Amino acid sequence: MLVSPPVKKSNLPIFTRRILIIVGGYGSGKSEVAVNLSRHLVETSGRQVAIADLDIVNPYFRSREANQALEALGIRCINPSGGEFYADLPIILPEIKGAIEHNDELLVLDVGGDDVGARVLSSLGKSFQKDSYEMMLVLNRNRPFTSNVSGCIRMIREIEEASRLKFTGIISNTHLLDDTDAETIASGYELAKEVSNKTGLPIKFLAGLAAIVESDEFADPDVPVLPLERHLLKPWESAD
Amino acid sequence: MAVDNKTVFDRPVALRDVVTHYCPGCTHGVIHRIVSEVLDELGLRERTCGVAPVGCSVLCYNYYNCDFMEAPHGRAPALATGFKRMRPDMIVFTYQGDGDLASIGMGEIVHAANRGEKFTTIFVNNAIYGMTGGQMAPTTLQGQVTTTCPVGRDTSMTGQPIRMAELLSALATPAYIERVAVHHPKYILQAKKAIRKAFRLQRDNKCYTLIEVLSTCPTNWGNTPGEATEWLDDNMMKYFPLGCYKDFQEDDSGS
Amino acid sequence: MAKVLMKGNEAIAEAALRAGAEGYFCYPITPQTEVAEYLSKRMPEVGGVFLQGESELAVANMLFGAASTGKRIFTTSSSPGISLMQEAISYMAGAELPAVIINIMRGGPGLGGILPAQSDYFQAVKGGGHGDYRVLVLAPSTVQEAVDLTMLSFHLADKYRNPVMLIGDGMIGQMMEAVEFPDDYQEPELPSSSEWAATGAEGREARIIKSLFLDPTGLEDNSWKLDRKYRQMIKEEVRSEKYKISKTNKVLIVAYGTMARICQTAIDELEEEGISVGLFRPISLFPFPEQEIFKEATKANIKSVLTIEMSTGQMVEDVQKVVQGKKPVEFYGRTGGIVPTPDEVKEQVRGIVSKKKTSGKSRKKT
Repeated sequence: MLVSPPVKKSNLPIFTRRILIIVGGYGSGKSEVAVNLSRHLVETSGRQVAIADLDIVNPYFRSREANQALEALGIRCINPSGGEFYADLPIILPEIKGAIEHNDELLVLDVGGDDVGARVLSSLGKSFQKDSYEMMLVLNRNRPFTSNVSGCIRMIREIEEASRLKFTGIISNTHLLDDTDAETIASGYELAKEVSNKTGLPIKFLAGLAAIVESDEFADPDVPVLPLERHLLKPWESAD
Repeated sequence: MAVDNKTVFDRPVALRDVVTHYCPGCTHGVIHRIVSEVLDELGLRERTCGVAPVGCSVLCYNYYNCDFMEAPHGRAPALATGFKRMRPDMIVFTYQGDGDLASIGMGEIVHAANRGEKFTTIFVNNAIYGMTGGQMAPTTLQGQVTTTCPVGRDTSMTGQPIRMAELLSALATPAYIERVAVHHPKYILQAKKAIRKAFRLQRDNKCYTLIEVLSTCPTNWGNTPGEATEWLDDNMMKYFPLGCYKDFQEDDSGS
Repeated sequence: MAKVLMKGNEAIAEAALRAGAEGYFCYPITPQTEVAEYLSKRMPEVGGVFLQGESELAVANMLFGAASTGKRIFTTSSSPGISLMQEAISYMAGAELPAVIINIMRGGPGLGGILPAQSDYFQAVKGGGHGDYRVLVLAPSTVQEAVDLTMLSFHLADKYRNPVMLIGDGMIGQMMEAVEFPDDYQEPELPSSSEWAATGAEGREARIIKSLFLDPTGLEDNSWKLDRKYRQMIKEEVRSEKYKISKTNKVLIVAYGTMARICQTAIDELEEEGISVGLFRPISLFPFPEQEIFKEATKANIKSVLTIEMSTGQMVEDVQKVVQGKKPVEFYGRTGGIVPTPDEVKEQVRGIVSKKKTSGKSRKKT
């Protein structure tokens, strides 16, 4: 199911902090990035990796839908079980706090969209030790509220206010789903650079469909690249 | 010698020249007239839309000479909300009875009042369901006989009658809530003053206003118009005291 | 305008604004709450009305009041909320008021679940409220089509002065797709709402917007008058799409909304196996594409008609009625939020093709 793509190993993202918080606007592709990042970490870090689905605003297309595939790779998935798995209830499991505070494993937190979704971090705020986490904005230029620099900066401000945490970086993840091409990704990267210049937040990596970012036509950006395999599919789509 | 005729009493323009269906001794007619006079005097008729309830006054749109909507039972405040939000330049009033407003429409009236919707409610309280033939209403008095409490309202089983003016006055938002009566000329004058003030506040965009009008229903109460007036005096006036329950603080000189 | 990536719910909200909606009344319910969240930001930008009411019951009646002004208004909800709105929908149909109501369907009955379903077909198509009335029902299968049909809904509501309902299963509201909004939206001219709306009786007779007709001849007249509009809809508003319909088809699938897309994938894959299947997708559910389905279903090459729904079988009753027993009508459905996969669809088709004799409708999932 999960086939490791032929990545350019030298150019993959590397993290020194243990907790990676993935936030961003609705539909920016946070969950897909979080799932792929977890897989990348388990394959490259040699450490135990856990992913927690903190999305309490989206009822569908959440990272928990990729659970089976991730667990097969040895990734620990933290999310509600039984009927609550499917609920839109704001369920925050006690294991999440545990994983943030007392664990050696690498932890990926997949947070719900916008400031509304990021508010959940505020309730966990005291658990995060200074310098223990990266909080990264997933940026998709083709989403209505993050199509320009001022929209992105407004979102950064709103999410920081709601989460009571500070951003440490940006993930450039511009796509148009099936309509994505190399140009789509490149134009999103341009916006990410502008936002980076304005805010001083570094671009931690660029994420893009593996088929595109690994093709010869794709000009390598000057940041690490995370090739994406799609896991959160619509019922009529297949992974290939 | 020429006689200088001066008209001292006439039908308001806001009231149609038609025969009503209301029973002898019913106070709906008086209330219709007062509201129409106020619409005329404030020059509001041509930009007013009323909302009719379900109940004895369901056909009141046939008597008022202004635009009207006919609402589902209890939903007049929701219709008025939707209308007024789209047309804040217009004047909107709901005309509702006690079953419509205090029973099936309790949710809608409380929330419309609490949002401070800028319309006026004329709440006609006669302590009984008139249209369907005299059943118990949320405002039926303790011991009062109706077709669904044939030995008198047993408040140990049905609760005490709801005092709507007091209940809505507990909300912080509404601007003006007053309970009036119309079964004697002196009360009619007070009622008109209150209704006029409510429409004036609405005209000046001052938030939600409600006038509760104690009313008679000789047919369903089972008495003559005269006896009904006495019954209202002796019973309803005690449980539902007249008076202003909420007042928007401002200079009233313009009323 | 360039393509943007939007969730179905957001795209519907934006489409309504582009179609000139000036008022939106709502109550939160999963899986459509994003419409409300989106419009809470956008409505003030365009100077429109955004109001969160105290219940769907109130919201639908606010819509009734707002519709009486003659301006374009709408609401969105999901199955249990739509049930609460049926009162006002019946009243609006009776009073001939235009309104757009969007149902992003979840599983039922009762509180059900929050995952996608198509089990409100009967409610939408057969009239969930009381009385002799119909609403025009449209069912998109992509986010782009949700945009286009939302815009069309406002036009049709005004054209017929009747509620129009757009139904999409939860997937339509929640999924993200690239969409494009028309740069200069044009629609055929309609008579002005000032001919009938309550705008104040200045210089004209007072108007009464109502559905009460105590005199039975008046009520009957109004009901037949409404019926004439529904006949006109049947004549003018049937919409559908065909996919891979050809003389080689052994099976004709009838499916709408998300289910139709899943069937397309299955049909493509079956084609590679040498099994030829066509898809008929109703876009308007009322009016139902009766003649079109009859024509396709009764062709000599069709062995069987297969209706697939995310329900225990609702539209299939209309398909059976239309086919008039001339071909077997089979049914396959999953419900409760479980969406049939392309593999399940393929299995059903293979079963039909390999069977010597078809046994009619099998409701049980295999």
